[in-house]
Amino acid sequence: MNPMEKLLNELKVKIVEILNLIDVHPDDIKEDAQLVGGDLEIDSIDVLELVIMIEKDYGIKIDNRDLGVKIFATLGTLAGYIHENAVELSN
Amino acid sequence: MTDVQNYICGMGIISSLGHGITQTKYALQKGWSGIGPLTLFSTVANPPLPVGEIPGSIDSGSLPRTHQLALLAAEQAIVKCEQSPDAVVMGITTGGILTTEMHLQKKAYDPELYRYHAVGSVAEEIARRYRCTGPVITVSTACSSGTVAIKIAIEMLRAGLFKRVLAGGADSLCRLTYYGFNSLQLIDPEGARPLDENRRGMSVAEGAAMLLLAADQPDNAVAEVLGAGLSCDAHHSVTPHPQGKGALTAMQAAIKDAGVSISAIDYINLHGTGTPDNDLSEAHAINTLFPGQKPLLSSVKGAFGHSLAASGAIEAVVSAISVSSHLVPANTGCRIPDPDLKLEPVMQPANVPVDCVLSNSFGFGGNNAAVIIGALDKFDCSISTTKIESLAILGCACVTGAGTTEATMANLSKGAACKGIFSVQEISKNLSPRAVRRLKRLPRMALSLALAAYESSSRKENPSSVFLGTGWGALSETYDFLTGLFETDERFPSPTDFVASVHNAPGGQIALKFRSTGPNITTSGGDYSFEQALLSAHLLSRDINESFFVMGVDESHAVVSHLFDKSVVADDILSDGGGSFCLTRTHDLSELHIKLAFYENTENNHGVISSLIGQLGGPERINASYGILMVGIPGGDRREGEKQLRTFLSLSGFKNPLIDYRKLIGEFASASAVAAVMATKFIGDGKIPTLFCNNRSFRLDGKGALVLGLGKFITAVEVLRR
Repeated sequence: MNPMEKLLNELKVKIVEILNLIDVHPDDIKEDAQLVGGDLEIDSIDVLELVIMIEKDYGIKIDNRDLGVKIFATLGTLAGYIHENAVELSN
Repeated sequence: MTDVQNYICGMGIISSLGHGITQTKYALQKGWSGIGPLTLFSTVANPPLPVGEIPGSIDSGSLPRTHQLALLAAEQAIVKCEQSPDAVVMGITTGGILTTEMHLQKKAYDPELYRYHAVGSVAEEIARRYRCTGPVITVSTACSSGTVAIKIAIEMLRAGLFKRVLAGGADSLCRLTYYGFNSLQLIDPEGARPLDENRRGMSVAEGAAMLLLAADQPDNAVAEVLGAGLSCDAHHSVTPHPQGKGALTAMQAAIKDAGVSISAIDYINLHGTGTPDNDLSEAHAINTLFPGQKPLLSSVKGAFGHSLAASGAIEAVVSAISVSSHLVPANTGCRIPDPDLKLEPVMQPANVPVDCVLSNSFGFGGNNAAVIIGALDKFDCSISTTKIESLAILGCACVTGAGTTEATMANLSKGAACKGIFSVQEISKNLSPRAVRRLKRLPRMALSLALAAYESSSRKENPSSVFLGTGWGALSETYDFLTGLFETDERFPSPTDFVASVHNAPGGQIALKFRSTGPNITTSGGDYSFEQALLSAHLLSRDINESFFVMGVDESHAVVSHLFDKSVVADDILSDGGGSFCLTRTHDLSELHIKLAFYENTENNHGVISSLIGQLGGPERINASYGILMVGIPGGDRREGEKQLRTFLSLSGFKNPLIDYRKLIGEFASASAVAAVMATKFIGDGKIPTLFCNNRSFRLDGKGALVLGLGKFITAVEVLRR
């Protein structure tokens, strides 16, 4: 598994866990599907919880609304941003 | 019937702009801002953000800061009035939390330290200080609280219940709101710039404002409250409706209530927090309401900051200054108005004639309120008094330690207690997992209760409004937010917990579920929270043709329930639960009716039991009407409550069965809501379990029940068969 695949899988598990998506399996989250406002019904408050997780686990601070919209467009864009900017990847 | 108006005959204010009307007026005239870096408490992780903090020291005693601010404002409002107010209505979001946070952080667990934690304790302290023996209501609908309090106060005057009501709002700065709004990324690091094209958020602030409202015109009247309107977005727990639909409805309701034409509005005091979403949503609503020429408009939140529950009351005072001094305050903080808003805010303070002001306040849970303040004697807004009438019961439900309604009633009939805590998984059984994934115990109980009451009503239409009483609000979310804050050195408190920590979050969830766009009221007055919700429903449902919810619900919490609620300490078993009703004003839809028949403060009120008996129609009617007495004596006030009960029994000669219900269902603030549901079930069945009647069969023969609340306040809820 390459580092990007590993990161994607890791994020899927974290999203399900942090947002308490009890009826969603991590594999149901598709890399290119709309992340916010899509089938998962993820909203602005969920995004802020994920922002905290990203700062805690990857050392990346996201406090710009316009940039945030781009980063959280899909799981793929989120993983891409983390991959490029992470201070250190979590375990 | 007589005609009443709502005169403002006294005002008090304390805010980041100063102390008192004169200082406030001067600061507004100069276009000053009170926003600057936080100094009230130190911040560990980051430099202090800009806030609207009250300058100088105000500490003088052991009361929490919010209480002190409220008392300072009340003192100014009432200084020229020789008589005590008949009722007190306050908007409060966080009560004694600044003090609570400090002690929780130190892990100090002496209940005495948390004596003034409750949001309801602020209004109770004002009532005690000014010897108010009537009802005390605390509204906790987040940032609309202060305006909602004024709406309830004018409806009290219009109902002919009272002549003088002291109403307002107060909130001090605290870690919960400072870090909470920051976790939502809603703080502008440069200070609030409402309506500016570069605005990035609000500045959290503190303050208090009080208005003494009178039905008869006194010599010292300043202005009039012409009317007010309420609505709920039923759109999202935090984000306002993008087109400002709920805001528009509230403004339209206020204008209709005031009986003025849209063209009469000279100035709009905007909610205008400075957050991108709020200002855009409010602008849409105003552009829809005023498609052509708009009144003058500005937000004062770049001057005061956003003092949450106090803001609506502060801005009502600003509106009264505006009509009495012909001053339109500037939209301080805004440099370049955002062209997308299509609004032209007043950029400099203006001295122009103003007779009528519309003031907006919107809060979490899509909770909207608008009030209209008019110059004295310029508008005929008199309304004939409308007496409070009973409400028809379409359905009801309860949750106790024994389980849902059926399990609770089955336990009761066997004589088994219903104390304890029903599992959250069981409570959530009738709720969609996706819809409740972010909800903890209290909102799940509230939603489940609402759904069960609605289903038992067998009605198809969705209830349009919500009146919810909770003594302590969302304890889990508040505790978890603060714990998360302290454990991460103030870096990572949970935005989800913050949003859900507001007292009106459960009411907002019910509105989302049922698309209830009418008034959405949360009251919080300790053991009398359900009664406050019922009174609010009586007062605010005049224009509600659909059904609506009235409920009381409280959660227990392993750490803080013992610290906050002295009655919880009195029982070995931790209990919680609630009761909910689906009600309507259409009397012929049900034989069973409910009414709040009495609500008075016992402090400074020696003849209170006699007045209760008089209000209920005297001993003869009491014995003829009530087949059962459900008595609520909070554990913390047991000795006093039992004394009150003996007096009641002796003066009324009441002979029918009596249930001391807290001994069965446990100690929690909204236990009386459960008792009211039990009473409804007994009357529906026409009989009372034999266990409560010396093991003899006791038929009610058409009689009803009296749910009597004792302790600090005396309340009486009638459930009758018509």
